[in-house]
Amino acid sequence: MDRGKIPVDLIMAKLAADARAAKHRLERARDIFHGPLATDIGATPYELVYQTDRVRLKYYRPEAARFKTPLLLVHGLFNRETLLDLQPDRSIVHTLLKEGVEVYLIEWGSPSRRDQFLTLDDHINGYMDDMVEFIRRRHGVPQVNLMGVCLGGTFAVMYAALHPAKIRNLITTVAPTHFNTPKGLLHIWMQKIDVDRLIHAYGNLPGNLVNAAFLLLNPPRLLLDKYLGFLENMDNKDFVENFIRMEKWIFDSPDVPGETFRQIVKDLYQENLLVQGKLRLGERRVDLRQLTMPLLNIYGQYDHLVPPEACEVLTEKVGSRDTENVCLDTGHVGIYVSSRFQKETVPMIAAWLLAREG
Amino acid sequence: MTQENSGQVAPEPLLAAWITWTMDFWDTMAQMGPGLGGAGRSGGQVSRETAVSGEPWLAALNLWQAFFSLLTEPGTVTAVFQGIQAPSKIILRMAQAGWGGYFYLHQQWLEGWQGNGSPSGEKGYENLDQDIFKACNEIFEQDFRRLLNLPHLCLTGLPQEAVNRATEKFNQFQAAMAEFIYLLYLPVKKSLRTMGAEKVDGGQAKPPEDFKDYYKRWLKILEGHYMTLFQSAEYIRTLTHTLHALEDFTLAKQELLSEAMAALGLPTRREMDDLYREIYLLKKSMKGLAQKIGRTDPPQEEG
Repeated sequence: MDRGKIPVDLIMAKLAADARAAKHRLERARDIFHGPLATDIGATPYELVYQTDRVRLKYYRPEAARFKTPLLLVHGLFNRETLLDLQPDRSIVHTLLKEGVEVYLIEWGSPSRRDQFLTLDDHINGYMDDMVEFIRRRHGVPQVNLMGVCLGGTFAVMYAALHPAKIRNLITTVAPTHFNTPKGLLHIWMQKIDVDRLIHAYGNLPGNLVNAAFLLLNPPRLLLDKYLGFLENMDNKDFVENFIRMEKWIFDSPDVPGETFRQIVKDLYQENLLVQGKLRLGERRVDLRQLTMPLLNIYGQYDHLVPPEACEVLTEKVGSRDTENVCLDTGHVGIYVSSRFQKETVPMIAAWLLAREG
Repeated sequence: MTQENSGQVAPEPLLAAWITWTMDFWDTMAQMGPGLGGAGRSGGQVSRETAVSGEPWLAALNLWQAFFSLLTEPGTVTAVFQGIQAPSKIILRMAQAGWGGYFYLHQQWLEGWQGNGSPSGEKGYENLDQDIFKACNEIFEQDFRRLLNLPHLCLTGLPQEAVNRATEKFNQFQAAMAEFIYLLYLPVKKSLRTMGAEKVDGGQAKPPEDFKDYYKRWLKILEGHYMTLFQSAEYIRTLTHTLHALEDFTLAKQELLSEAMAALGLPTRREMDDLYREIYLLKKSMKGLAQKIGRTDPPQEEG
């Protein structure tokens, strides 16, 4: 009976060839790892212009400013703002500077136990408002442009709704505002989390727990395939440098102040108060109809962390009549680090701002 | 001079008794473990569903028992205590027993990978059979935990209780973590079984022509299984349970550290938290007052 022959000789020949290629790759990789590697992140030069508690404000000066209104970038609390300046050819900050925008960037710093009682109100009506006031005075302008990234975008929406007179234009990128959606694992898990127990045990949400949660969103890709890809390309210096930069950023999640995290989980993920106009910060209610400035809302079609369903509702809920939804053909982080975003989307943002410069 | 006369006790009978007792203990464990009914030396029928997840557990017990059976054989203990006159023979026999059990464990795992055994259905993660975790937990809850909860008296009572509490919570966290990791491993097992079913073409083994394509297909299947798992009620229950166990352990550990810090005259975490809260409230009320009287200083530039 013909049982189907296994081509052992071919398999052995292929294995031998693979072994030779792997040996050469390892030799080249050894030279790369022994040589100098440029893996710094957040390397675009800046001035530190303002600091209060742990929070700092960075100012990036363009060679030739084309805009009268400066732009304030707000990142979320779960990761570092260095994502926006990962490397020169993949830096939103760098590309905005080339477009002639004066850029300010909030660095939330590393919260300690001292910061565990800080609330959403302290971040938005405290730190953010102080920064906006500072920029307005420094430039002698009545309004600033505001761009929020991820949860920083949600913060920007809240701020713009509470202080519309201070914001000229608002841009949100992958910013969740509608939290009651079954799409996206984060939304599903957050519905069930007992945040009171967690904060009672830790005070703040530990950064390492955040890192672990992000890895669990897709273990095959994030724990296996990514590193196999690294092994395959470790003889490519550019690849190695980019990979290490990204690793540095991914595993550098700071702790999140406990009270703020409690509010994010309960008021946003579990109660979905923001889009219902029921969220309260301090003594004030966040009414999205007060958000009347032009709004550009950007999100990723394949974003599993903040799915389109969590973002696209915003434009229907705000009071502004100049709104635009832009759904990009990418995922959550890809929106900031893909070369296409740098080449096409950032210039589009600059053009959108310029058209509303007045 | 006899051993009795010298006032010493012969070690052989003691060791033999201890070994027999140990075997009985593990035999009982095997029989009491859920899903392992009759799985001890006396043998018995095990249901198909429970046997699959119980088999590695059973194999470990068999290995343990084989090892100790060898020790109880006449002459073995004597040989050990008489300077081990035939060490190579004894070691060889023990190694055979050990390796036998070890290979059996691996066989179970490999069969699982190849899809010959399944702890749950092809799709979905409901009604998982996790008897091994329940059995371990029951052993801990029924025996060891009681020891850790014995009341302590006198001066050192409180610190000892804190140590015991931390130990207890650590063990519970480890048990929860083991269950969680097992759950995370299931999609790997399922995906390999799917690939195993694909490899057979007309009853003949078909080697993959391009390993990369094969790997990519496996990765896609694996991702699909993980997405199903992560949205299942079972995963959310296990995740919540693990998080709670971690939180309990963290609190118990902090309590223990607080005892030590108080003994050293250092401020404890609770004291520092109270202080931080007071500073936070003080700063907030100062800012509020400054705003009320219109004396908010404009934010100052750095440097």
